[in-house]
Amino acid sequence: MLKEYHGKIRLIIKHYPYKYRDFSHLAAEAAMAAHEQGRFWQMHELLLKRSPELDRESLIRYAKELGLDLNKFIDSLDRMKHKDIIERDKKLAIELDLYNTPTFFINGRKVIGNRPYEYFKKIIEEELKGAKK
Amino acid sequence: MQKNKGQKAEYRRNPWTSIIYPLLILILISIPDLVVSGHLEPFRSVQIPDYNPQTPEKIELGKKLFFDRRLSGDGTMSCATCHIPDLAFTDGLEVSLSYPTTRNWRNAPTLINVAFSKYLFWDGRAVSLEDQALFPMMSAFEMNQNLDFLEEELRSVPEYVEAFKEVFGGEITRQKIAMAIAAFERTLVSKNAPIDRFLNGDKDALSPEAKKGYEIFTGKGRCSECHHGVNLSDDKFYNLGVPENKELERDPRIAATRRFVAKVYHYEDYLNLKEDPGRYLITKDKKDWKAFKTPTLREVARTAPYMHNGIFKTLDEVIEFFNQGGGMGNTVLKPLGLSEEERRNLRIFLEEALTGEEIVIKYPEIP
Repeated sequence: MLKEYHGKIRLIIKHYPYKYRDFSHLAAEAAMAAHEQGRFWQMHELLLKRSPELDRESLIRYAKELGLDLNKFIDSLDRMKHKDIIERDKKLAIELDLYNTPTFFINGRKVIGNRPYEYFKKIIEEELKGAKK
Repeated sequence: MQKNKGQKAEYRRNPWTSIIYPLLILILISIPDLVVSGHLEPFRSVQIPDYNPQTPEKIELGKKLFFDRRLSGDGTMSCATCHIPDLAFTDGLEVSLSYPTTRNWRNAPTLINVAFSKYLFWDGRAVSLEDQALFPMMSAFEMNQNLDFLEEELRSVPEYVEAFKEVFGGEITRQKIAMAIAAFERTLVSKNAPIDRFLNGDKDALSPEAKKGYEIFTGKGRCSECHHGVNLSDDKFYNLGVPENKELERDPRIAATRRFVAKVYHYEDYLNLKEDPGRYLITKDKKDWKAFKTPTLREVARTAPYMHNGIFKTLDEVIEFFNQGGGMGNTVLKPLGLSEEERRNLRIFLEEALTGEEIVIKYPEIP
């Protein structure tokens, strides 16, 4: 979708780790630690694929799999370096009264849950059309 | 052990059913068929059951509960999570949204005109809205709430205590929660659609194409053999050989849901179950194997994707399925031989004629 609408749309990710899962916050930290090394999306994909195996040892294994600098990754993870960002995102979600993940906002239009490509495409087309006016 | 026992107990029908079900059968036997097979009927008022009369206060309470996330175990889901007002009270997905970390296995049907349904759910396991409302709350892969706990949670909210006292004159109970939600749901009706005006004598209510589509619907297309009456449904169950949704079949979380439901309904070989047995799970009658309820076609243009597993994305795909005589092995449908133009007119009829006034919902303030 980002390729198809290159230069026209922007994707902003906000973290919202599920409150009743032991490792969801740590997994968000892992994604950010991978982001430091330019591999956010690869880690993101891996986390979704391997969930619920998201304990510390598993996360380190995934970092190794992605060829990350393990010392840097572990240091970031153990110090919870990105805690403030994740907490800030959580606060925003609560302020917006959001409770489901994933939730998308496309120019303010709320979409809950994983949806087919065409579903997003229709909304994006409508919004792009509106933006041209 | 205790927990499992409790779960099974929760899945038993509530006491309503034991009273209503025999009554319903008696009524059906004693009254001649009110719906003439194959005839469409214009909108008429919803019948309100004597045991749950509508009042504005009850409807308002039901609306609050409908949108209240307390009804789910982790506080993330309300009824409106899967029945979104802006999406004609569906969630627009192949299979419905689910409790976090789980997956549902069936499509969320619209709630519009649900008051006209004799059976609820794709497999018809509930026979009244009051009976239906508690199922998703208890379901492990939907709202996953414990009803004893829910009663106590709501009793901690003074506004709810007051509202239940005012509406029902008593304590908060799960039955009253269901009654209030049912009262709200009975207000969700498709009104003043072009088909209603057309059937009431306004011959210009349908475009020329939609009129031709109507002829197909009631004639060569044989749609009205099952989709008739005011709600365009015969409230029966058929195995049409709807293809399995392969992508969903592969998801281990959906397999867990399938085995769980089969286990709860005492399907012996639940460990090896690879498909959705449909109504069979409820009746254990061979003729109901993979049979699903005839859905309403009111507002059908707004309730994609279609069928119990959301396998068809568009009405064109659905029409083609019926035109081909349904899916493999079904004995219900036969090829229709509709031309391209006939299929197109049929689609125009479904889109134009059956779409009523938009239902505007003012979101309630949750206490």
